[in-house]
Amino acid sequence: MGVIHGDLMTLNIGPQHPSTHGVLRLKVKTDGEIISEVEPIIGYLHRCFEKHCENVTYDQVIPYTDRCDYIASMNNNFGYAVTIEALMEIKVPERVEYIRIIVAELNRIASHLLALGTYGLDVGAFTPFLYMFRDRERILDLFETLCGARLLYNYIWVGGLSHDLPRDFVESVFSFLDYFEPKIEEYNELLTYNKIFIERTADIGVLPPEVAISFGVTGPNLRGSGVKWDIRKDDPYSIYDKFDYDIPIGAGEMGTVGDCWDRYYVRMVEMKESAKIIRQALKGLPAGDVHQALPKKIRPPKGSIYKRTESPRGDLAYYIVSDGSPIPYRLKMRSPAFTALSVLGEISQGWMMSDVIAILGSLDIVLGEIDR
Amino acid sequence: MTVDNLINWFPFGAEWPVLTFVTAVIICALPVFLFIAVYALVAIYAELKVSSFMQDKVGPMGQGVGLHAWKFGILQPVADALKLILKEDIIPDLADKKLFVMAPFIVFVGAFISFAALPFGQNIIIADMNIGIFYILAVGSLSVIGIILAGWSSNNKWSLYGGMRSAAQIISYEIPAGLSIISIVMLTGTLSMQGIIEFQSGTIWGVLPNWIIFNNPFSFIAFFIFFISGVAECNRTPFDIPEAESELVAGAFTEYSGMRYAFFFLSEYAEMFVISAIAVTAFLGGWNSPISGFMNSSGWGVFWFMLKSLSLIFLMIWFRWTLPRLRVDQLMSICWKVFLPFSLVNIFGVGIWSLLVG
Amino acid sequence: MYKYFNNIFVAISSILKGMSITWRHMINIRKGNVTLQYPEERWPRPERDIGFDLDSYNVIRSRLQVDIDDCIGCLKCERVCPVQCIKIVTTKAETKGEDLPDIGHTGITSNGTKKALIVSRFDIDMSECCYCNLCVYPCPEECIYMTGGPNSHKHPIDYEFSQYDRNDLIYKFAKDVDDEKISKYVSKKIK
Repeated sequence: MGVIHGDLMTLNIGPQHPSTHGVLRLKVKTDGEIISEVEPIIGYLHRCFEKHCENVTYDQVIPYTDRCDYIASMNNNFGYAVTIEALMEIKVPERVEYIRIIVAELNRIASHLLALGTYGLDVGAFTPFLYMFRDRERILDLFETLCGARLLYNYIWVGGLSHDLPRDFVESVFSFLDYFEPKIEEYNELLTYNKIFIERTADIGVLPPEVAISFGVTGPNLRGSGVKWDIRKDDPYSIYDKFDYDIPIGAGEMGTVGDCWDRYYVRMVEMKESAKIIRQALKGLPAGDVHQALPKKIRPPKGSIYKRTESPRGDLAYYIVSDGSPIPYRLKMRSPAFTALSVLGEISQGWMMSDVIAILGSLDIVLGEIDR
Repeated sequence: MTVDNLINWFPFGAEWPVLTFVTAVIICALPVFLFIAVYALVAIYAELKVSSFMQDKVGPMGQGVGLHAWKFGILQPVADALKLILKEDIIPDLADKKLFVMAPFIVFVGAFISFAALPFGQNIIIADMNIGIFYILAVGSLSVIGIILAGWSSNNKWSLYGGMRSAAQIISYEIPAGLSIISIVMLTGTLSMQGIIEFQSGTIWGVLPNWIIFNNPFSFIAFFIFFISGVAECNRTPFDIPEAESELVAGAFTEYSGMRYAFFFLSEYAEMFVISAIAVTAFLGGWNSPISGFMNSSGWGVFWFMLKSLSLIFLMIWFRWTLPRLRVDQLMSICWKVFLPFSLVNIFGVGIWSLLVG
Repeated sequence: MYKYFNNIFVAISSILKGMSITWRHMINIRKGNVTLQYPEERWPRPERDIGFDLDSYNVIRSRLQVDIDDCIGCLKCERVCPVQCIKIVTTKAETKGEDLPDIGHTGITSNGTKKALIVSRFDIDMSECCYCNLCVYPCPEECIYMTGGPNSHKHPIDYEFSQYDRNDLIYKFAKDVDDEKISKYVSKKIK
């Protein structure tokens, strides 16, 4: 009995589809349930971020960076501020560094909660999604007391912060962490170690480390493949080298190293590590003025800089060319989600329809950052 | 109360046999339809509330102007039904119109005619056939044809996927379900629903109710095999593969709206009831009281039957709001590699058991 | 063979574990509920008194308000806005710091600054506003602010300002007078 080869069917997943995490279109060639080719088509959320930035002053860029990776705005602000400070050689006060790390790690937890929750939704589990959103909401509440905004903060400025911590902020972050850390165990019991979830994710969409590196995949996706690479450790910026934390990597606990479950689990463990960093930073928070180093006018010297930071999605970098005027001559953002999406076609070949959704969810993409 | 009784009761039965038969069937079918409608409203409300409570929310609490029933959102299913009735009925241009219109009704019929053989109480059964359980298993599979038709006729790739998955699914779950029922039939020696229930009256050692699930270890396993296969038959999570909303948008039902979609919805809930009712009949003693001699009159029989069925429906809802979805080939591998061997062993085991013990 | 039965055991136990979690949540709903019935109940707004000695800071992102009597027309907010949603037109007044009741112009701000410019147009398009709060910081008279902080007593904190027409989201803060009236008071030099 021979195998019957029919024609391939072209299927458009998106731009309107429940599991594309935004407005992404996947052009999929399928042979029944089996996927033979995936081509992501992007650009539906293109807002000319980089071109906009060439027309506004350096401090006006910050609200625009908020809107790239809108899940982790603090980290975007942080990366931009660090880059300009390196270009202008500004030394920011220690209190500012501590507060920045606290809010960036809080936002990392919020971002991972969203990624894991929607991943549960992708494989059909609805309840963990709502539990994770419930806890993410508490982080957003903290940010609202901090700067008034819940999603697009414009909080970290070049040379400082827009304002100091509100009263009782430290206590409320501590109480949040006390509440949050036991919840991770609950997520693990409910979703991570659920046999059906493991069946759906383990051994699926294996991303070998060589492929990951050659595609430039970074962040939890790369660490899920067993490569210990984290900008916070390997190229420390700000004061990340002062804290004691681990970099979790995928170990193939449930299947092969680099499968969807590993990528998922790396994020789960990273939330714990972030909580560790926040606790240390809150304990060591020095007093001081957060506006001390704010420059009167941001006018970097002529030159260019490329500086990378670790956003929840990976290696977020800004390349800025300055011609000495108050407006950037060129601003390029290296988006980690973009490289993560580019590897999708490579690793989802031969898997089934449902697996492509699972693989896409495990890459944790944010279309705002991909299209920019 | 059966159709036969009704036919015999009609004074003009001999002169107009066809008219008598049709009248009798309609008299029986109307209450069933009403029952399904009311039960579906209750089940939808229960699903909304249970899912919300499991997710730390409160669920529906009020339905806007004029529909505020107290404050628990009791009218939410009514509002949902109203919305679905009032919605525009859209038939896609390139759809196969006849099949498209027919499909929801075929799905509903599959669930609806199963009610004819469900024993609600000691005397409350529409047709106590001597092949009752076999009949239900046979017509229960009819709804899959409707889903395949819906998937095909919509002329939509997602729908086609849904229909094909549904077809792939049925051949996997029907076999273990049927085999686990066979082990029951071996024990009881009858296919009649009432006969199976009567077999289960009394107690084991004076303590446990003499239900088949407690009869021997093999039928205990058979219950779970049957029930989980039944969940697959209802297309509920973790087996909601044909409609998998995060993969196939709405699967076979993508193009349906309004009343036609409501029929799919209704038949899903009706099917849940049928599966639970079969499980209750075959394994949990039907309308028998759990404590022998306690509230065991024929009136209470309806109560026990409904209580047991609704608890199983709650179990299905509970599954749905806890578990992720399986992949289509994983469902097959579970059915063929786990359930099928287990139910074959069950049949063997039950045979040995009834030879040695019974 | 061991793996086969172990798999079944793991599946059953992990499913039961998950179901026990959802069960616990269901029976503890009275304690664990996080929903608020929105129009009747609302989340308490965070404390706006942010402490330290930064009372002048305004940490709320909601509707922009302008006290037009205090505005000196310096255009700083217009220039700093990243999305250019503020439009200001000013003309030079004939005399500095003089009240012009005819066109509703006050000469001196509440900070005591004498105004040299008549603000004839001050529009904020709130449908374009990105709520970045950047316009609030440079204002020398603190007359443009998002409601809240030290200004919360002046206007109610308003998160829910929706309109049926997009044009209704353009808030006009300048006094509504026609150009002819203003032109009487405009400095001759500019003419």
